[in-house]
Amino acid sequence: MTLQTSPIEASGLPRAIIGAIVNNALVVALIAVFAVFSFATPTFLTIANLQSILVNNFTLLAIVAIAMTFAVSVGGIDLSVGTAVDFASFAFVSLVLAGQPVAIAALAGLGAGAAVGAFNAILISGIGISPFLGTLGTLFIGRSIQQLLTNGGNPVYLPPSGVPEAFRFLGRGAIAGIPVPLVIAAIIIVAATVILTRARFGRVALAIGIQPSVVRYSGITARAHVAVAFILVGLIAAVAGLILSATVTVYIPSSGNAFLLNAIGATFIGTTLSRLGRPNVAGTVLGVLLLSIVANGLLLTGLNFYWQQVGTGLLIFAVLALSFINRRKATA
Amino acid sequence: MSVDIQLAPVIHFEPGKIGDDTTRSGNLAAAALRAGSLIAFVAILLVFSATAPYFLSVGNIGNVLGQSAISGVLAIGLTVVLIAGGSNVVTGGIDLSLAANMGLSAAVYATVAQLGYGDATAVAAALLTGGLVGVVNAFAVVGAGIVPLLATLAVMNIVAGLELVLTQNTVIPASTPLLTALSSSGPLGIPALAYVLLAFTLIAAAIVQYTPTGLRLYAVGEFPDAARAAGLPVRRLLAGAFVASGLCGGFAGILSVSNLSGSTTGSGEMLLPVVVTALLGSVFSRRLVPTIIGTLLSTLFVGFLVNGFQLLNISSVLVSGVQGLLILLVVSATTLLRRQEA
Repeated sequence: MTLQTSPIEASGLPRAIIGAIVNNALVVALIAVFAVFSFATPTFLTIANLQSILVNNFTLLAIVAIAMTFAVSVGGIDLSVGTAVDFASFAFVSLVLAGQPVAIAALAGLGAGAAVGAFNAILISGIGISPFLGTLGTLFIGRSIQQLLTNGGNPVYLPPSGVPEAFRFLGRGAIAGIPVPLVIAAIIIVAATVILTRARFGRVALAIGIQPSVVRYSGITARAHVAVAFILVGLIAAVAGLILSATVTVYIPSSGNAFLLNAIGATFIGTTLSRLGRPNVAGTVLGVLLLSIVANGLLLTGLNFYWQQVGTGLLIFAVLALSFINRRKATA
Repeated sequence: MSVDIQLAPVIHFEPGKIGDDTTRSGNLAAAALRAGSLIAFVAILLVFSATAPYFLSVGNIGNVLGQSAISGVLAIGLTVVLIAGGSNVVTGGIDLSLAANMGLSAAVYATVAQLGYGDATAVAAALLTGGLVGVVNAFAVVGAGIVPLLATLAVMNIVAGLELVLTQNTVIPASTPLLTALSSSGPLGIPALAYVLLAFTLIAAAIVQYTPTGLRLYAVGEFPDAARAAGLPVRRLLAGAFVASGLCGGFAGILSVSNLSGSTTGSGEMLLPVVVTALLGSVFSRRLVPTIIGTLLSTLFVGFLVNGFQLLNISSVLVSGVQGLLILLVVSATTLLRRQEA
């Protein structure tokens, strides 16, 4: 990853304005998209809709994208985040179906996600495989394992009568009027921010991503930190798996992969459009917000469903192109 | 330990050291791995043929070639981008829009054919579609400077959406003389698609491996600064690689219409297997870099594996797992060999 220091040497007002826009490209894009949809559709700017964005579009993707942010922080990438989501979901739903207490089942789910992360950690830190290839292997193996576990890919349903109260609460409950999934996402966002910016572990992780050799020469065991980072990825993604299965009360094999490309997109949008060009939780969250708002806003415009996908792609493409071109101009 | 995101194992040559022990043992390790992977390839063929006598018959080999044609063409397109883009996923070459591109091109071909136009028009439309997607990628990466991973991810979404708009998520049937010819059998009773794959590989290999342009692509990918200093048109070559990859997507689209007698949805499923195939390809090359022939071998490797499983009645469920294990085994071997040599 290229490390850029603040690209702006302010000289004169126009440059300063361009600089401000470039340095906050993501926020500017978010405000622009928000404003456009507020004017274009009457229902976008309503409390109910904004809440729906957060619950339906934002929560799960945000959790998975934050998991991805840890992988990108250490200079890696994790293509198997969806596998961790799926394994957690499978363990959780299966154990609840088998009559185990929800707490035990949830712990097993988290364990399953962490196990996926640990497998990646062995490949990457132990053997030294590049994260892209190692996690790609995990993704493929995970797909087979899930099909083997489910007789070739059959969903595992929880019968409506067999859904425990605690299980339902995790997916559809509310604390002080705030949906539980959103509360959990908020906790993870805050915790991840603290870990990456305040804790020693996070600083070392970011340093590994920027200059691995310097970290090694400083006598820090980079391998251990990378391993922990990938286990964290699995663990955090597992939380999304628990919430997902609690919301829909079913486990569908390999459904977690739906998050993969959006999570990568959000994380890298957050990374490349942030001031320092480093992975950061705030940037990732803004990236997820951007994707969520665009998805929701296009839905409200009443556009044909298929055109919505084109629209999403075009908007994100435009945001990326404009900000990269601007950045280039500003640094030129 | 390095945690650089690397796509392909790259042997680093240090200018002053050519010929001394380090490089020689590096070559040895590379040779061992290359031989190892070829031996593994042959071993798998032998095991399958021992258990399923039909496996190594001409007819079956032809089948495997024919069934691998589409993924082979896509993987070769991706290989060109890997060569010109370099081995770093974030800043280097990757084209995530290839599979979606194939889907859109197939839909365009089927639609144009259904409107009553001839094969020439339909082929031109499909290739134009694929090429245009490549041009958009090239503009995004080279013109706007967006990292390829992000740029082609966004383009993938747009292209997949356009395919849905065009097909309304249904199958568009198509039947033209060209499609009939492509889905028939050629000499030796081997599917015509098999010959298409071989011919396409030969042409691509000739261009990439044996022309100055091909050599320049490698230079741009492996040593961009040196390439720039040597006066190579780095940007134009990189853009060209993305356009070439787009054209491969268009071509694969036509092949997929012939294979399925129409355009079908779900082409996005092919993306990750194609990425795996292209990445594995470098193991089958002498210097462990992406090459066209290496990619063909890796395509056939995967093809024979899937085919052998079918013949032995092993559940197809295991295929992706074995593919995953294979990547990990091959890459672990590469990594451990490289570590030994250090």
